Amino acid sequence: MKGSLTLRVSLAFVLIVGLSAAGLGCYLYRDFVGEIVRRDDIALRGKLRQVQQQLASPDAQSLVRDHPQYFRDTMSGQENSLVRVAAPDGQVLLDINAPGEHYPLPPAAAVAQGALLSWTSRAGAPGQVVSGMARLGGRQLVQVTVARVYADRTAMFARYRQRIVLACALAAGLAGLLAALLLVRGLRPLRAIAAHAALVRPGRLDSQLDSADAPSELRPLILALNAMLVRLHDGYTRLSGFSADLAHEFRTPVNNLLGQSQVALAQPRSVDDYEQILASNVEEMERLSRMIDSMLFLARASQEDVAPVRTTLALADEFGRMAAFYEGMAEERDLTLRCEGSASVQADAQLLRRALANLLSNAIAHARTGSVVTLAAAERDGWTELAVTNAGSPIAAHDLPHLFERFYRADAARTAGAGSTGLGLAIVSAIMALHGGRAEVRQAPDATTFVLRFPPA
Amino acid sequence: MHILIIEDEPKTGDYLQRGLRESGFTVSLARSGREGLHLATEEEVDLVVLDVMLPGMSGWEVLAQLRAREGTAQLPVLFLTARDEVQDRVKGLELGADDYLVKPFAFVELVARIRTLLRRAPARDDALLCIGDMEIDVIARKVRRQGIPVVLTAQEFNLLHLLARREGQVLSRSLIASQVWDMNFDSDTNVIDAAIRRLRRKLDDPFAQKLIHTRRGMGYVCEVSA
Repeated sequence: MKGSLTLRVSLAFVLIVGLSAAGLGCYLYRDFVGEIVRRDDIALRGKLRQVQQQLASPDAQSLVRDHPQYFRDTMSGQENSLVRVAAPDGQVLLDINAPGEHYPLPPAAAVAQGALLSWTSRAGAPGQVVSGMARLGGRQLVQVTVARVYADRTAMFARYRQRIVLACALAAGLAGLLAALLLVRGLRPLRAIAAHAALVRPGRLDSQLDSADAPSELRPLILALNAMLVRLHDGYTRLSGFSADLAHEFRTPVNNLLGQSQVALAQPRSVDDYEQILASNVEEMERLSRMIDSMLFLARASQEDVAPVRTTLALADEFGRMAAFYEGMAEERDLTLRCEGSASVQADAQLLRRALANLLSNAIAHARTGSVVTLAAAERDGWTELAVTNAGSPIAAHDLPHLFERFYRADAARTAGAGSTGLGLAIVSAIMALHGGRAEVRQAPDATTFVLRFPPA
Repeated sequence: MHILIIEDEPKTGDYLQRGLRESGFTVSLARSGREGLHLATEEEVDLVVLDVMLPGMSGWEVLAQLRAREGTAQLPVLFLTARDEVQDRVKGLELGADDYLVKPFAFVELVARIRTLLRRAPARDDALLCIGDMEIDVIARKVRRQGIPVVLTAQEFNLLHLLARREGQVLSRSLIASQVWDMNFDSDTNVIDAAIRRLRRKLDDPFAQKLIHTRRGMGYVCEVSA
């Protein structure tokens, strides 16, 4: 339970409520105690005045002398006050002190101010004492001292404190319990998400989490999870579609290999025939091998496992090299290769050549006989654009968005020749992605242009 | 020249042995790493072709052991791998391998690499190459047949020079693309075929003796055919 949110929040609630209740309790207790003490002090002073008045009555002197028990009853009262009347020379005229407590006699200064003095009883209870002067029977000046022991008050305060502590503990416990209950309820949507996530598996990636009932704090999480599921679903669909495509693409060359080898073995043939068949097999296998290479390249590029080694490349030089490489092929199809513009890009030489070679192979294959294939470089808004343009029948508009997808063939009859792997443009796109750029296609009525866009260095 | 092949896959081992024998090498074949190590120390071996994915003792271990032993520490090793991962290549070269090929590879490519490693690639660096009735002046970049000048473009000359320097050796299309145009990837093979056709039109078509020959499924060779 160390990592339990419920436990931690509940404990925090217990602490917060416990502390605030204790603070409040302390405040109220101190206030209460102060009030009680103040009242007791007033009562003690009142008692002093009462005794002073009784002593001032004309017959007080004889009463003190002859009937001290009268004073004992009337002066001590229900509060069991201790009363002492003494002459200025120290002679004690009256001392009501049944428990035999020793309380201090306030000094003259305190007497003059009527100040209270604290003392402690033999049983350890707090006591107060106050003195005043009086005219005994209206004549003799005496010092009257009244004292009290507050044993019952101390016990009451103790009980009060206990109740406060109990109330604090109860409040804290209740708060903790409530917090736990609220959290368990509040986290229910999270458990729903967990239950949903447990059901997610390949092929069921499209089921989305319901965000309608979720609290607003959890909605961003649910939306993010749903977006993640969409991405996973897309990736998974693409990947499984890709695997299926791959299997299909492999079928043709494997079928050729199998078929022609079996036909060859069906009856004895001349050495020339065998050579023909073997050479044809080699061609098919080279096609398979190229396909595997391209696939691996794409797989690595998509995992960003290919690190382009960027150097500054003068495009005029690169175009010249490409034109030289393709001059034989262009000549056979009566095409002219034209290089235009000069700019430079920061790019991996081999990757750029590979991309350009793929575009030029396509351009030469699809160019109208006798036309011009153009390689052009230009700067536009800080981006460097390499354009390969060929004249020829336009690519259908519905094919344009899919041209850079793996194994997408706009015109199966024309491009599915022995050399084509259907991956050329996907590789071009991957190479541009590795460089932080884009590959695009622009279709004019009579010319198709593939553009490689490199971002500003 | 004695080549030791360490390869557990039966078909691969058999065709490598046969092909290298027919290319003029003495060949021993070991079907496991342990056997290979034994043969490498017992026999006078000049080069090892090592498959890295061997059962039991892996190719990497074999390579490390070869390098650790005194007699075989300098023995050229070319390793074959089906895993075209950068780490694999780096690992092999770090362990002291001299070269590598990724499966599937063209057989002529393997032979070319072996010849280079053995420093037996009969590449001719002469200033004047003569093949049949053809003379190539490498410095002046001029070609004559039967004394008649043949006018070639720069690319055509480079292509011819490559083929002529490696007279009698079959050169794969990818090797030609890499050497002549610096295209080090599997490019459109039609490009090489077109370039060769163009060269032939100028060099071979006007003359009875043909010098550039197609080896179907393998590549091209320049020689006076028997």
